[in-house]
Amino acid sequence: MKNQNINTNQEYKYGFTTDIENIKAPKGLNEDVIKFISNIKKEPKWMLDWRLKAYKRLKSLKEPNWQKPKYPKINYQDLYYYSAPKSMKDKPKSLDEVDPKLIETYNKLGIPLNEQKKLSGVAVDAVFDSVSVATTFKEELTKKGIIFCPISEAIQKHPDLVKKYLGSVIPLTDHYFATLNSAVFTDGSFVYIPPNVRCPMELSTYFRINASETGQFERTLIIADKNSYVSYLEGCTAPMRDENQLHAANVELVALDDAEIKYSTVQNWYPGDKNGKGGIYNFVTKRGACRGKNSKISWTQVETGSAITWKYPSCILQGDNSVGEFYSIAITNNHQKADTGTKMIHLGKNTKSKIISKGISAGQADNTYRGLVDISRKALNSRNYTQCDSLLMGNKCGAHTVPYIKNKNASSTVEHEATTSKINEEQLYYCNQRGLNQEEAVSLIVNGFCKEVLQQLPMEFAVEAQKLVGISLEGSVG
Amino acid sequence: MNFEIKSEEINKFKEISQEEKDFRIKNLKYFNNIGLPSKKLEDWKFTDLREIISNNFKKLDTFQKNEKFSNFKILKDFEHNYIILLNGSLNSFDFSFEDSSKIKIENYTEKNLKYEDNKNSLVNLNHALFTNGYSLEVESNYKFNKVVIIYNFFSENVENQIINKKNKILVKKNSELHLIDYTINKSKFVCNNYEEITLEENSILKNISLQKDRSDGYFHKFSKNKLNKGSKYNQLLFSSGLKFNKLDLEADLLGEDTECNIQAALYLNQNQHQEIKTRINHLAPNSKSYQKIKNVLNSNAKGIYQGKIYVKDIAQKTDAYQLSKALLLNDDTEFNSKPELEIYADDVKCSHGSTSGNVEEDSLYYLMTRGLSRKESLRLLINGFLNDIVDVIKSNTIKDFISSNLEKQIYEYK
Repeated sequence: MKNQNINTNQEYKYGFTTDIENIKAPKGLNEDVIKFISNIKKEPKWMLDWRLKAYKRLKSLKEPNWQKPKYPKINYQDLYYYSAPKSMKDKPKSLDEVDPKLIETYNKLGIPLNEQKKLSGVAVDAVFDSVSVATTFKEELTKKGIIFCPISEAIQKHPDLVKKYLGSVIPLTDHYFATLNSAVFTDGSFVYIPPNVRCPMELSTYFRINASETGQFERTLIIADKNSYVSYLEGCTAPMRDENQLHAANVELVALDDAEIKYSTVQNWYPGDKNGKGGIYNFVTKRGACRGKNSKISWTQVETGSAITWKYPSCILQGDNSVGEFYSIAITNNHQKADTGTKMIHLGKNTKSKIISKGISAGQADNTYRGLVDISRKALNSRNYTQCDSLLMGNKCGAHTVPYIKNKNASSTVEHEATTSKINEEQLYYCNQRGLNQEEAVSLIVNGFCKEVLQQLPMEFAVEAQKLVGISLEGSVG
Repeated sequence: MNFEIKSEEINKFKEISQEEKDFRIKNLKYFNNIGLPSKKLEDWKFTDLREIISNNFKKLDTFQKNEKFSNFKILKDFEHNYIILLNGSLNSFDFSFEDSSKIKIENYTEKNLKYEDNKNSLVNLNHALFTNGYSLEVESNYKFNKVVIIYNFFSENVENQIINKKNKILVKKNSELHLIDYTINKSKFVCNNYEEITLEENSILKNISLQKDRSDGYFHKFSKNKLNKGSKYNQLLFSSGLKFNKLDLEADLLGEDTECNIQAALYLNQNQHQEIKTRINHLAPNSKSYQKIKNVLNSNAKGIYQGKIYVKDIAQKTDAYQLSKALLLNDDTEFNSKPELEIYADDVKCSHGSTSGNVEEDSLYYLMTRGLSRKESLRLLINGFLNDIVDVIKSNTIKDFISSNLEKQIYEYK
């Protein structure tokens, strides 16, 4: 049975395209396009000004080039910055009005947009190319005072919150891709959890790139007010295309006093074919600020897709006693490249951070962990523990570890350890002996290797992620 | 201070060939283009030399003068051969415990005049301006009877100057050489050192570096090491006592079954700044490298370790290890580390660890219950922490000598 399952999944299962009529902004990046996006979203003037400010800044910035995976120069004028299904122009009020083709797409992806799938108990915001198509469970969340909606809606309905927090963690001036996103972001999710509320269900966003020659630039903003809790899931897929597509998202998290945010990602963008043709460039900026005392932000990521993954979900631990966590699995196969890790910036007293990173590299792939732990002079009694392990399969791939560790006071302790090795022959032999074939054995061992991270994922995602780990490594051994 | 060197400086070298002159000019041009390294460069991220030099020197001239000196006291602690260097140039030597036909020592002359752009612009500066140095060769199948101490003596004439010196060591097949690099200096100056070490098949080189006293010296050394099949290289570094010290060590493990060992025990005090940067290139199968760097930091000291292990795809069965441990005694100290792995072969065992923190209160408490004062307990713990590296030394007399040297520094702890 298990064998069958793997075989049917042999290829990238989400590689289909949906034939749907689109509205696009004119090609290229200029002020008019930004105005077009702002206009179509019926944005207030302050938002447009903000975007233009970012664009002005962008013109003076250079693309960074310190990363390990190099890529051909991106022609930013040859991209569409806005693409939306035509039927979304007048936003549907309920799911019944949504184009059935879209619903079908999401059904194919296994995303429970229909309310009948209520049983799964996950509230979903689905983003298709540049717009959010549907948000489920709105009523139930509203009762608790939770705001969960597309960010374009939040800009209109909750401008005070957006104004206060947008760009407060990732400033306009941050770096090239973050600034680009600030100028042209199209949609994304907005979450606000009021004080003393524990969000009763997992919130989830599903991103899908469909149109060709488009970049996807979504923006997510999550605010957990005092003593609240939220768990947020993010998933992504894209059709198989020969071209490389750019995905440059910004995610900002703000946790106030005693609040906790758990952010999980299963990233499965199209990785390109076996020869490294096509695939998504996933250049994402994710950053969380633990503003309040005793706050906590936890990032969990399973990165299996994308031609190039280049992201560092980070925590700024400003509040005293705040906690930052980062759990990551990055799997690269064929010609995929990943340069990922985290930054833990300790500013408050008694702050703690924990980094667990597992990198698996097969085929001709390159996998880099790059991380920063910075304990400032005032962050007394801080603590960090980092563990990054890499697994290599075959001698054409590479695994790299580049940690930066800074400690500026005597009362803090920093620990870092890393190992690199291959799959233990004895373990493989043992599994083979018990009747598992090579691929099943590898999948089992790798799942064991990643266990610490997989355990952090919410139930629904953990199952999917486990399968994904097996599929991503198919054909890499033997 | 803007540190730029005029091309007239090259004209001061009288007895050089046109080819060497061109080589020097090319290197100087490159250096002047880049200038002293600053933290904008990845390799100097934690050490902004440009800032350090301009904060500490009002002027910095290139050193030219030659001088002689008469009475120099050599160590009496144990029997040894010696080489004396005065301000970098070869002064005298004594190999009375050895077969002198097996040893060749002379002034350094540059034979390889191939120009290369360097990541480290100080190497280019060295190529452009080096005035002196030595070259040491050990013939095949010769094992030294006694250790060789290289006395690196700097006179007071070097104050506010920059010395560019070079040295080259070649150990031929099946030979073994033990060195102690012993620096004696009281002046405030910059020493820019370039070192080339080649180990032929199955040869062994063991090297210990240490500094006699605390001094205001600013030292930089680039060390390039080539290890051929079956050779072993062992480098032990002890508290430098220098105001600034950066060792930039690169080792190419070219042959199979090579071994490279780098260990350091550093006690840094009073605004000292020390960086150890290593790059170990595993280029052939079955090679081993081991690095263990221990730092104790006190009052405003800054310690840095940047280590990189590179494993080429054919270098299967590599066993590489990096460990850096730091004790921070004060809140105004700082320790930065960047232990890096770049691995392209799958059947390898590579790992690293890095920790930094304070002395454990429990251990202190234990010692204090035995009647030691807090200060004494601390000293004892620091000593224990660092002495671990001294234990690697096999000869008891040398071990005692190093150990007492280290203790002397730790007892400065107040």
